[in-house]
Amino acid sequence: MTSTEITYAWAINHAMDEEMARDPRVVLFGQDVGRMGGVFGVTRNLFEKHGPERVRDVSIVEHFVVGGAVGAALGGLRPIAEVQFADFLLVAGDESFHKLPKWRYMHGGAFTIPVVIRAPSGIQGGVGAEHSQSPESHYWHTPGVKIAVPSTPADAKGLLKSAIRDDNPVIFFETRRLYRVKGLVPDDPELLVPFGQASVRREGTDLTVVAWAGMVLEVLAAAEELAAEGLSIEVIDPRTLVPFDWETVAASVRKTSRLLIVHEAPLTMGPGAEIASRAADELFAELDAPVRRLAGPDVPIPQNMALEQFCFPQIPEIVAAARELIRW
Amino acid sequence: MSDEDRADLLVLYRQMARGRALEDRVNALTNSREFRGFFHPGRGQEGIQAGVCSVLRKDDYLLYAHRGLTYLTAKGMDPTSILGDFLGRVGGSTGGLGAGTVHCVDVENGIMGQGGTLGSSFTLSAGLGLASQVLKQDRIATAFFGDGASARGTFIEAGVTIAAWKLPVLWVCENNGWAVSARLADVQGTDDIAPRAAALGFYTEVVDGQDVRAVQAAARRAAEKARAGQPAFIEAKTSRVEGHYTGDVQPYRDKDDVAQAKDRDPLLLAQTQLVEMGVSEAEVSAIWDEAVSEMAAAEELARLSPEPTGDRIFEGLWA
Repeated sequence: MTSTEITYAWAINHAMDEEMARDPRVVLFGQDVGRMGGVFGVTRNLFEKHGPERVRDVSIVEHFVVGGAVGAALGGLRPIAEVQFADFLLVAGDESFHKLPKWRYMHGGAFTIPVVIRAPSGIQGGVGAEHSQSPESHYWHTPGVKIAVPSTPADAKGLLKSAIRDDNPVIFFETRRLYRVKGLVPDDPELLVPFGQASVRREGTDLTVVAWAGMVLEVLAAAEELAAEGLSIEVIDPRTLVPFDWETVAASVRKTSRLLIVHEAPLTMGPGAEIASRAADELFAELDAPVRRLAGPDVPIPQNMALEQFCFPQIPEIVAAARELIRW
Repeated sequence: MSDEDRADLLVLYRQMARGRALEDRVNALTNSREFRGFFHPGRGQEGIQAGVCSVLRKDDYLLYAHRGLTYLTAKGMDPTSILGDFLGRVGGSTGGLGAGTVHCVDVENGIMGQGGTLGSSFTLSAGLGLASQVLKQDRIATAFFGDGASARGTFIEAGVTIAAWKLPVLWVCENNGWAVSARLADVQGTDDIAPRAAALGFYTEVVDGQDVRAVQAAARRAAEKARAGQPAFIEAKTSRVEGHYTGDVQPYRDKDDVAQAKDRDPLLLAQTQLVEMGVSEAEVSAIWDEAVSEMAAAEELARLSPEPTGDRIFEGLWA
């Protein structure tokens, strides 16, 4: 099996390109996804290759982007709809919290809704409170929609391809901070990454750390530092939050007896709260230390880049928290 | 008046009668509290729904509104299935999940459902139109809504996109002048919705919604435009006879206004036209009686279906 080293952004591009070539029902629309190739270059060449019928620019119409995607799916297409920033998904609240996850269920399962909403998320560097959020909790709290949170180019491609082929709606949170990160990506267009299967990024015995999307690189760097002290960290990347691969996390905690969750979204009611609560419920007897969460503070994200660094867990904090839990 | 006109009007009258007879049953179920959800009566607006649906093809998409039931039966849906939804039976179109108008569904007849938040059909109809265009299906996507919902931001967002992409979409505004208790002019500063659609680039028709033949003629022109890629819009001026929901006694509304609405009943107007065309009064009443019997039989049949058990809530969330 051959692989090529490409960026996370390019991996997403390849996933769309291959799926559009494979299935004429796949269409793409969003702001600037056409001739420009996306404000971050993620959709480059797709307009030229797949034509104006299937790759369409829209105006500033988030309600349409999400609601129109649901309608298009009802009519037999498999739309990929891009909101330029995940924050803008909240503009389409009715469409993303109601129409997308509920239309099938409300109508007794009469329809399938094969929609992928691409939502570039996370702190990117100086873009402020309404362009930097990681709103995965909002949608994890909304039954009926799957959630992908890839952290590597290979997962970005494999998960997006799975998402496009899935008959259920998927919100695909891609991390803008990772767009230029390179990694080996399998060339085989039929190599998909399944939903609901976590990836063990690093094996270890002293502490389980669960992290996804933009936080995986920081956690791996922290694990490397801790290894120098003789501490062995297991890093688990769930890759999708819905469905969530609880079994892999639970097996790891049974081995390490300690759990730390690291995410970028604000602490309170963040995704870590759900994972920690489930661990307390189901793994109480296995734990030798409290379950801890490291997360963004409960504040909007400032535009000042120096201050922004205080808004998501940094490597020294992760190292310190890991040490404390292991020595509990 | 040709024989053809008379035959056409007989069909339209029959559809209006079926819609009203079905609604009478649902009102009774609501008043007896056997149906516990919201129902929004469409009495007085049957002409718009029957008239527009009469020009749609079986495979044309329909996103109906919440006011009345004539859209559904006129588009071909089985009333047993609709009553099954109201009664919350597994034989309803939503398999026991629905309990009211808003989520009746019949994919075979192009009935694609409804949302509980008004104005959501604007974006969905745009998406359905896009699918028809990309898949070269020649189907049009029709969405009904009231004057109240026309204020939603989704109207603009979907409208500009429909216009830009020349999607085969037909929007039908049933303008009854009331948004629950608010008069249209008081909350939107106008009595007219069509100019808003015209400004977006839609072909527009303004029609007397009480005259089912006029509605049909306007709808025929509008649907033809939409099918050819010229988005179209019908504003049908109408009156709401009953309150916003069954049980709403309309204390906010002048009694004369309600009386006038009753005088302009589209079924009464059609009856007069039919008699003028030489149809006997007996024949006209027979159509009504037949509709009443049909709906009584449909309710009986719907009741034979069981209520769902608790595990139903976990079925069908995922494909």
